[in-house]
Amino acid sequence: MSAMSKPLSGAECEASSPQSAGPRQAAITASDLCIGYGDLSVIDNVSFRIDQREFVSLLGPSGCGKSTLLRAIAGLLTPTSGSLQLQNSANEVTDSKPRVGLMFQKPLLLPWRTTLENVLLPVEIELGGNRVSSIDEARAREVLSLVQLSSFEDAYPKQLSGGMQQRVALARALMSDPDLLLLDEPFGALDELTREMLNEELLEIWRSADTRLKTIVMVTHSIPEAVALSDRVFVFAARPAKLAEVVPVELEHPRDLESQAFAKSVSYVRRLIRSFS
Amino acid sequence: MKVPSSLTPLSFLAVTLLVWELAVRFLNVPAYLLPSPTAIIATVDSELFLHLAVTSGEALAGFFIASACAFLAALAFVRSPLLERGVFPLAIAIKTTPLVAIAPLLVLWMGTGWWSKITAAGLICFFPVLVNTIKGLKAADSKYFKLFSSFGASQRQAFRKLRIPFCLPYFFSALKISSSLAIVGAIVGEFVGATHGLGYVIMVSSSHLDTDILFSAIFAAAALGILLFQFIGWLEQRVIFWQTAETE
Repeated sequence: MSAMSKPLSGAECEASSPQSAGPRQAAITASDLCIGYGDLSVIDNVSFRIDQREFVSLLGPSGCGKSTLLRAIAGLLTPTSGSLQLQNSANEVTDSKPRVGLMFQKPLLLPWRTTLENVLLPVEIELGGNRVSSIDEARAREVLSLVQLSSFEDAYPKQLSGGMQQRVALARALMSDPDLLLLDEPFGALDELTREMLNEELLEIWRSADTRLKTIVMVTHSIPEAVALSDRVFVFAARPAKLAEVVPVELEHPRDLESQAFAKSVSYVRRLIRSFS
Repeated sequence: MKVPSSLTPLSFLAVTLLVWELAVRFLNVPAYLLPSPTAIIATVDSELFLHLAVTSGEALAGFFIASACAFLAALAFVRSPLLERGVFPLAIAIKTTPLVAIAPLLVLWMGTGWWSKITAAGLICFFPVLVNTIKGLKAADSKYFKLFSSFGASQRQAFRKLRIPFCLPYFFSALKISSSLAIVGAIVGEFVGATHGLGYVIMVSSSHLDTDILFSAIFAAAALGILLFQFIGWLEQRVIFWQTAETE
């Protein structure tokens, strides 16, 4: 596997977007980023750049600060020092912040709300006390069909399987039509089969032209998952987290998880991680 | 054929009453020790219902006032940890002081009328509701709050849409506990000094060895407790249709 060369996310993806010509714009730029809780330094002096329309996985041992970094990108944490900048996909629209969708390992659905009501939650919060419009509801239905849950609009979370609940959480994250999707071990609590299926669906949504969604940053513990999905894998070394290595994955989508090239990439990343710990 | 769930306890009750009736009749148990069920039922008159109504009124008033106050106090405590640290020990003091010890004082202060009983019922209801509501208001997973702040939700929105609904199961299980306690409170208040109510009936009938009347008052109190408990359980299932919490 050759390093350094610019990763591509697949030919179809290039074709589906009209504004793909020319050099890519940055989505996230971090320089000399440090994040800590009190005296404890969790992220130490990390710099990177994630491009628009890129799928990046953050991979590393538990407690290496991947989730902390993700939270900082989501704006839930303030960096101790250094800078962390997010850019909108439509750069010409001045001072409009990029929209961010966030998803955790747990679905975090409200059990007293139906699927549709759960997906509408971010809109309701944004509106304050105002009523959700029929346009928003139509949008919610659209997003639910994107995650193939159209027939479960009126179901309550407890009536859904773990995988379906996580789809609802994905739909809710997509509801705001985010530029940037941040995933914190999104399918980590699911069984292997469901997980692979949802990964494929996630890729499809990312590559489709139906959403504005351009950039995905995902925290994961699974090396095969990182290799199967990402354009680049950011490998972190343990605390305080250092960005140890950036591995571009130059496999065409759809990726064949049975292929030799895939197996080689996985074992390369695995050896890399072992060498850091 | 499917047997309704209420049928099993009811048939057990019927068998128990039947055995009781037969035992009293054939073993010649003196009526002042254990009257037969039929003798007890024979004492039921409009006067008993009047006393039942008085006790119900006192218990319910104490229950509602205390539950509302406890809920508001819990809201305040959760918002202000300082207040919680300062006032919570006082709430525990109220809880640990036996109501029977305070009841004479209440009657001394408020007289033998309604208010001493309402206060007694309220005092005994307050603590379970307070403790469970505080627990419930803190029950939502911290990840939910992260999610909410990623949506840009205000504190107020998180409170309304997260804390309160997550608290409801805890609140309702506290109501079930305190509803039974409210009746205890009202009756203890009536023991000390009253002219009406089931507690008054119990005191008077036991001193006159009117054991049949005593039993009818006991059963009336029990029926009131069961009814109230069932009603809150029914309400709970409708309000918190998504779950019921296991709490104390």
